[in-house]
Amino acid sequence: MNGTPRILNRVLIGVLGIKLLAIGVLLILLATVPAVAVWWQGWSAGVWSLWRDLFERTRFPGRAESWLWIVVVLVLLLVIGAMVAWVAQQGKGRTNLLVFEEGPGQVPGNVRIGSGVAEQALRAALADRPDLAGVTVATYDFRGEPGLRIRLQPRQGVAPHRLAADVSALVEALDRALGKRTPVLIHIASGARSRFGRAERVR
Amino acid sequence: MRPNTEHDPNHGNDAPPAPSAAPTVGGEAPAGAGAGGMEEILRRETHSSRAVASIIAAVLVAGLCGYALLETAVRAIGQPPWLVDPQTAAEKVVSLPNGVSPLLLGVTGAVVVMAGLFFFLNAVLPGRRARHILRDRRAAVVVDDEVIASALARRARVAANVSQEQVMVTVSRQHVQVSVRPTSGVPLSPDAVLAAVQDELGDMTLSPSPDVRITVASTGVVGA
Repeated sequence: MNGTPRILNRVLIGVLGIKLLAIGVLLILLATVPAVAVWWQGWSAGVWSLWRDLFERTRFPGRAESWLWIVVVLVLLLVIGAMVAWVAQQGKGRTNLLVFEEGPGQVPGNVRIGSGVAEQALRAALADRPDLAGVTVATYDFRGEPGLRIRLQPRQGVAPHRLAADVSALVEALDRALGKRTPVLIHIASGARSRFGRAERVR
Repeated sequence: MRPNTEHDPNHGNDAPPAPSAAPTVGGEAPAGAGAGGMEEILRRETHSSRAVASIIAAVLVAGLCGYALLETAVRAIGQPPWLVDPQTAAEKVVSLPNGVSPLLLGVTGAVVVMAGLFFFLNAVLPGRRARHILRDRRAAVVVDDEVIASALARRARVAANVSQEQVMVTVSRQHVQVSVRPTSGVPLSPDAVLAAVQDELGDMTLSPSPDVRITVASTGVVGA
């Protein structure tokens, strides 16, 4: 439920994949089919001479270098910046406000409840359960509204539906305490701790 | 164990001094994200976000651009190139089949095709994760298939009265495969195990709901 831009990811990966596929196929064809080699040399020589002319025409007056190099540098910097921004978009969306209400009653002012309230309450309530190997609670901004993500790592053999029912009862208690229903995701996960830890033997 | 889990909701309930505030706001309808928001969350949680492939792609492109930037900057200020001058590089690319051995060219092409295929398939395939949705009245619940398998294996083990190592359960999107190796000399009823596993699955109310297949090995385990 984080804010990873999934469609953008797929589009950009797809564009890169198609380009790499085209380059790779061209390289293999160049290595194997002589006719392709002849076509490639003619076509790419034309493109290259076009660019060389462009560089010749854009020289600094009185110097050998073209100012097009500076443009190329700027474009490359822009692309690198865009890539860094793209990576920064992955997995974003953590927030630290669970409830934000403007003027909720007769008293002027607004109400803010930090996400630590729900996170610590749930973690404390689940802390001494013997059937859990780990609990993580985090608040994410989902479509402009805070939502809780509860990640549970049960020990081996724990029935997930009973665990989910217990935790959603806890969440309902939290709803009553906060006076607001927030979207909640419960993720019952397996990980190294549940895989290699001891099984819960007694129930 | 039971009293402990039963106790927890009460504990969480009476801890904050909220009863006075609860009736004023608690009766109101939930805000914004209702059923539609939940569906959206569940859809996102059961599909891969492609973050890893995206980060690999971004690092690759940024690295290539960084190298090109270095050579271009060196060229722009009139210094000797680091590895290859952009102009000679372009000329080499133009005369490509000549100057490089065909084997090297072919292998390079194959590697690039592989990388391209990786990214392209990552973009096109649905990317479902090995998770199931569990219906719950309050929260959106997703369960890793491994957790389901472990719970079913426990139930099957108790029903078959065998040890932990004799049961293997594999959960996929549509199927649950239970393999049991009986103890030598002890009869084992596959129907009872199947019924137990189906009963447990029915309690879970998974979506999509998988069907159960059971195989009992013809050879037994000695002394288990």
